[in-house]
Amino acid sequence: MKRNSFGYLVVVMTVAAGLAFSAPAVAGETYQLGMSLAITGPTSDAGNPYSKGVEDYINFANDTRILGDAKIDCPIRDDMYETAVTKRNFEDFLDQGMIFFLSYATGANQALAPDFTEVQIPVIPASMDSSLMKASPYIFLPIASYSHQYVGVAEYVATHHKGQGTAKVAAFIHPSAFGRAPLADFKAAQAAGMKLDLVEVVEHGTDLDNSALLQRLASKGVQYVLCQTVQSPVATLLNDAQRLGMAAKTFGEPGKITFMGAHYTGGNDLIALAGTAAEGFHWTTSYRVTSEEGPWTDWQLAMAKKYARDDKTANSHNYACGMMAAQIAVEAIRRTREAGKEVTRATLYDTLNQMNGDKAFESLLAVGRMTYSATDRMGVDRVQLYVVKDGVFRAVGEPFRLKYMK
Amino acid sequence: MTYFFQLVVSGIVVGSIYALSALGFVLIYKSSRVLNIAHGQIIAGGAFIVYALTVFLGLPIYISFVASMVITFFLAMSVERIFLRRLIGEPIISVIMVTIGLMSILNGVIYLTPFGSMNYSFPEFLPTTPISLGGVSISWTQLMGVVITAILIGAFSWFFKRSTIGISMRAVSDDQFAAMSVGISVPRVFGLAWAMAGLSAAAAGAIIGNITGLNFETLGAFGITVFPVVILGGLDSIIGAVVAGVIMGLIQQFAAGYLDGNWGLNGTADVLPYIILLVILLFKPHGLFGTHEIERV
Repeated sequence: MKRNSFGYLVVVMTVAAGLAFSAPAVAGETYQLGMSLAITGPTSDAGNPYSKGVEDYINFANDTRILGDAKIDCPIRDDMYETAVTKRNFEDFLDQGMIFFLSYATGANQALAPDFTEVQIPVIPASMDSSLMKASPYIFLPIASYSHQYVGVAEYVATHHKGQGTAKVAAFIHPSAFGRAPLADFKAAQAAGMKLDLVEVVEHGTDLDNSALLQRLASKGVQYVLCQTVQSPVATLLNDAQRLGMAAKTFGEPGKITFMGAHYTGGNDLIALAGTAAEGFHWTTSYRVTSEEGPWTDWQLAMAKKYARDDKTANSHNYACGMMAAQIAVEAIRRTREAGKEVTRATLYDTLNQMNGDKAFESLLAVGRMTYSATDRMGVDRVQLYVVKDGVFRAVGEPFRLKYMK
Repeated sequence: MTYFFQLVVSGIVVGSIYALSALGFVLIYKSSRVLNIAHGQIIAGGAFIVYALTVFLGLPIYISFVASMVITFFLAMSVERIFLRRLIGEPIISVIMVTIGLMSILNGVIYLTPFGSMNYSFPEFLPTTPISLGGVSISWTQLMGVVITAILIGAFSWFFKRSTIGISMRAVSDDQFAAMSVGISVPRVFGLAWAMAGLSAAAAGAIIGNITGLNFETLGAFGITVFPVVILGGLDSIIGAVVAGVIMGLIQQFAAGYLDGNWGLNGTADVLPYIILLVILLFKPHGLFGTHEIERV
């Protein structure tokens, strides 16, 4: 009797152990992603809504079973804009079996690019710095680079300037590679035939009053100021231009200066900082904005509502950026599974490289189709010009491709 | 000539705001010989309190402004009571290290609120049309900044020169043990110095926030931006903060107006104040108005 009980116990334990170990297979596979970004510290005004976008889209993918039984686990860690912390997060994620990395800052991506290449992991950064595409073949920019956006506003000026002669422009840039690299591409576009007269390059500091700068630019006949920096210095510049009566409220208004800028100079944060002084500011990005009616706005706001985000986050283009980064990763996994392949870093990399032609990916959040290949690491290559009108950004014309920059 | 006068006006405006921001450093150093590294965070905190009271609670902005100064007055006093009171008599470097820790704590607290990573601007409450005279213009925000700075600096100067508590604070600054021997409560003086620094920081934060918009990184960085002003004026001199602030403001505006963009120069407005600071310190190591202490060995 005792022997029978023991045998029975062994059978029960074996079955239980078998069930326990087979449980993950029943629940479906879990794909490990990772994201490191500045939720606090410098640039967290962009990083915070970006992280919420990633979090919400991953939850959405899991909730709506985009991958069927499979799930995505994407831990999001704050790196406070410090490269050393990003590296530590990245290595921790690798230890957890990460197959796709969502990264953030230009500097951290440049520093980690050799690591990305070494471990052969696909990466979507929040930075749209064009140098990243050269730094590692595993970095895929979601939209047009800062350079493309900056040259985009410049091309718009060259094409639409109504005054006599060549338009006179000044560059107002961040005193770092983030500001300087697009300016170098601007000069390359000039050399390639873009007709603009670059009168002065201003690398800004922390100025409380830009009267001297603005009056100097006006005395040199500058008609357009093209900004490549973050919102805060642009807001101060716009406030001073409004005070001095120099800010154009319509494009190319005679006797005034039209202020324009690329990606991180604009968005609702600029309006929040500059208030009415932001009226007439022109801005390029490849994202849709929620101040324009369309299915993208409905979808973005519905997502924000579903995951209980506040209005500011819901209408932030950085929230859209985060969602689109996660969308690309999820889509790559979905397509890899659909092709019947095992989802690994290598197969995801191949899937991304095949995202072109009739396999191009279309997201509601961007103004064009997203294409990648072995030689194309920039997803959406079109840019859209927006202008602040009655306190919100409105589209100006249709999205366009650049003539002087490939 | 209009251009020149515009630069002078802009320089005075910027200098006044620098002076007000620097005042918090001076007030604490004057009484306790401590440099408060967390001053930028208190400036930012003051600005956010004004916004929260105005937008979230719906108070008129003028009342929010005064209320913010009162709140930071007590907050700064509490900070001194909780974190720094125990360090009286300890080496100054220990106290400065605590203020570095305090900076991290305040950063963390602010990041827990929406202000840590969101941008805001105050509701418009002043006319947007600037005041112009002979082609020289100044915005109402800037004018208000200059007026508030003048009032606060005048009030603090009077306080330190004429009031009993102010004189007690100067006595503590000169010699803590001697001050205690004549019945002055050193802990009370330290608490009051921190409280007044908090009050001035809130005023500075509200004014800067009205010019730049409310961005934590920008506002918090002001603690460091005004550091050359504090050093140039002399760490323990209120009038020094004013003079140095205006000097720095004028240098920046003239550099931006006459040097930048010419002869291949750029960014001189950011560098020149530091060069001049170094030159002046070569001849006046305690700053323009700082106390020259003679140590007898």
